[in-house]
Amino acid sequence: MGIDIKTVERKGGTPQERVYLVEVFKGMAVTFGHFIRNFLDNSKLYIRHYPEVEPEITPRWRGRHRLTRHEDGTVKCVACFMCQTNCPAKCIMIEAGERLDGRTEKLPVRFDIDLLECIYCGYCVEACPMDAIRMDTGIYSLTGTSRESFVIGLNELLHSESPFTDEEYKKGSK
Amino acid sequence: MADTIKLSVNGVEVEVPAGKNLIDAVAAVGIEIPHICYHPALGADGNCRMCLVEIEDGRPPLVPACKTRAAEGMKVRLDSEKIKKIQRDMMEFELINHPIDCPICDQAGECILQDYYMKYDAVPSRMRVPQVKKDKKVDFGAGVVHDQERCVLCARCVRFTRLITKTGELGIVNRTDEARVSIFPGRPLSNRYALNVVDLCPVGAMTSKDFRFQQRAWFLTRSKSVCHGCSKGCNIFIDHNREKYKDDVIYRYRPRHNAQVNGYFMCDEGRMTYKLENENRLLSPKAAGQQDDTEGAVNALKRRIQQAVKPLFVVSPNCSLEQMHAVQALAGSVKAVVNGYSDGCIKEGDGDDFLIQDDKSANRAAFALLGIDSGKDVFDAALNDADLVVSFAHDLSLNGVDCSKLAKDGLAFVGSYGNTCADAATYLIPVASYSEDSGSIINVDGILQHYEVAVVKNEPLPTMLEIIAGLGGSLKDVEAARSSLSSMDAFKGVDMQNIPAQGLALTVSEVDNVTA
Repeated sequence: MGIDIKTVERKGGTPQERVYLVEVFKGMAVTFGHFIRNFLDNSKLYIRHYPEVEPEITPRWRGRHRLTRHEDGTVKCVACFMCQTNCPAKCIMIEAGERLDGRTEKLPVRFDIDLLECIYCGYCVEACPMDAIRMDTGIYSLTGTSRESFVIGLNELLHSESPFTDEEYKKGSK
Repeated sequence: MADTIKLSVNGVEVEVPAGKNLIDAVAAVGIEIPHICYHPALGADGNCRMCLVEIEDGRPPLVPACKTRAAEGMKVRLDSEKIKKIQRDMMEFELINHPIDCPICDQAGECILQDYYMKYDAVPSRMRVPQVKKDKKVDFGAGVVHDQERCVLCARCVRFTRLITKTGELGIVNRTDEARVSIFPGRPLSNRYALNVVDLCPVGAMTSKDFRFQQRAWFLTRSKSVCHGCSKGCNIFIDHNREKYKDDVIYRYRPRHNAQVNGYFMCDEGRMTYKLENENRLLSPKAAGQQDDTEGAVNALKRRIQQAVKPLFVVSPNCSLEQMHAVQALAGSVKAVVNGYSDGCIKEGDGDDFLIQDDKSANRAAFALLGIDSGKDVFDAALNDADLVVSFAHDLSLNGVDCSKLAKDGLAFVGSYGNTCADAATYLIPVASYSEDSGSIINVDGILQHYEVAVVKNEPLPTMLEIIAGLGGSLKDVEAARSSLSSMDAFKGVDMQNIPAQGLALTVSEVDNVTA
């Protein structure tokens, strides 16, 4: 049903406000007040000192992707293409091949993610039936000198570690 | 029209074709009776029990629809609780030992078990004991890989080798949950239609070694076309996909049902001709031995044809009807001799009595209809006189011609695939192949079929008709060529613009014109 309607009194109608200049000086007083206070003591600034101080990333935060591995170090991914199918940005490119270690039949021989196309929605993580792709690396800053350098491959994805433990990841917090 | 009968399905009266079993009869009016083992080409086996239906006032009241002939006044029930329970129970049986490895199964997306589970079952498994383990990867030979765990033992593949190829390589060994499809020891699948078992398999138990893990089924675009592997002209689906940052690539051919031409099947050799479309394609045009762009090469060849005193146009029996006709029209305007001698395309004794033909070219029947001479004597005589030979997609080395020697006089090649003739040619104009072009072909039985553009490349090559028009031909496109063809005596009464989807069998008098 209808939401509550709150009538807000329109401001700016008094003669003093209509003169305008007085209000300008009042505003400037606030600005300079902040400036002088912060100038004398900057410990109370509402500012993050990035990049000297990095933000705290929670395990639920969706950072750059990684591919998880079994305990013996082999790739968990079975190249089922569920992430590629589900990806709204179409940034995942997989090529499948025959797996010969007896674990399953299929494995990815190419697994590329175009990080410039990725919208970090996490649908690939949701779609994965193997928990093989996660976005828990905590990497939020990506730099490169060419477009191609943002397409990361199997090797890079497999050899990125998560700063979180499995329990933290499953709980969603530290 | 065939006779029809009236029967009632779920209390609704429907009119269905007579003389068919219940599955096919009611499928004709869009009602689905689930079935796994039944296939129209292989007949009813009745082993899956999925198609059990209730016949009201019938004796017996429950019948397998695949084994029951539709009869006048029959009252079929598909929606009773009893039938639904039977379908659920049958699905449960099928899934007891099924590994549910859909994420890595090539059949996922076109699998009967997936579809039927969603439609007729949709309840969680009650299986609490370990599943029976079987072999996951058995090489059956002929490019077929078998997964025994996924198999539902419908015996379609077994019946295919017994009834269709009559080679009988496959059989079901053991009983109950130990039953599995197998080859005889040391006797792999060895027939030229073996890959049809991959299409026939309703689940992912039969996979093609060639297509295995290449693509997921739902990424593929299925375009209708006609196989150009031999003169049978089997109807096919071209399954292709354009991956990100890549070009449109064909991944497989699958047979498309056409009762008039190929039925439900195609040969393995034809199936693998998709590779020709992806590999060894001509891409860069040449003019007078130098690399050039298409326009430059066409203009240079046009001038060369005008200078020539006695040009010879050799037209490939793989060209479409429209292309041949356009070549003829061009030859008429530049006074060139047109010849279609190409006996090198015929592999004597290679054909069989099913689908494979001796003649490995798609449209030879059109030569006679269009009046294109394809005799060796005429070809040799014309070749001796000619000061310029333009080959429209025909590899002249198949005619026993030394192409590099011929190139000294002047040899032009307009075609799609690389070969000795194209390598030697001083003028080379690459054109779109049949998967990228539309046209019509006449098969060995005189059936005229159209095919449409299936694959669109990132940088499409010009069609042969565009090149012929650029060389001074009067027929600019397929439409123009078709309306010009319609006015010919050989195609009297044939509506070239509206050929039915299943192809048009040319009338007896027209076929009579075709020399065997």
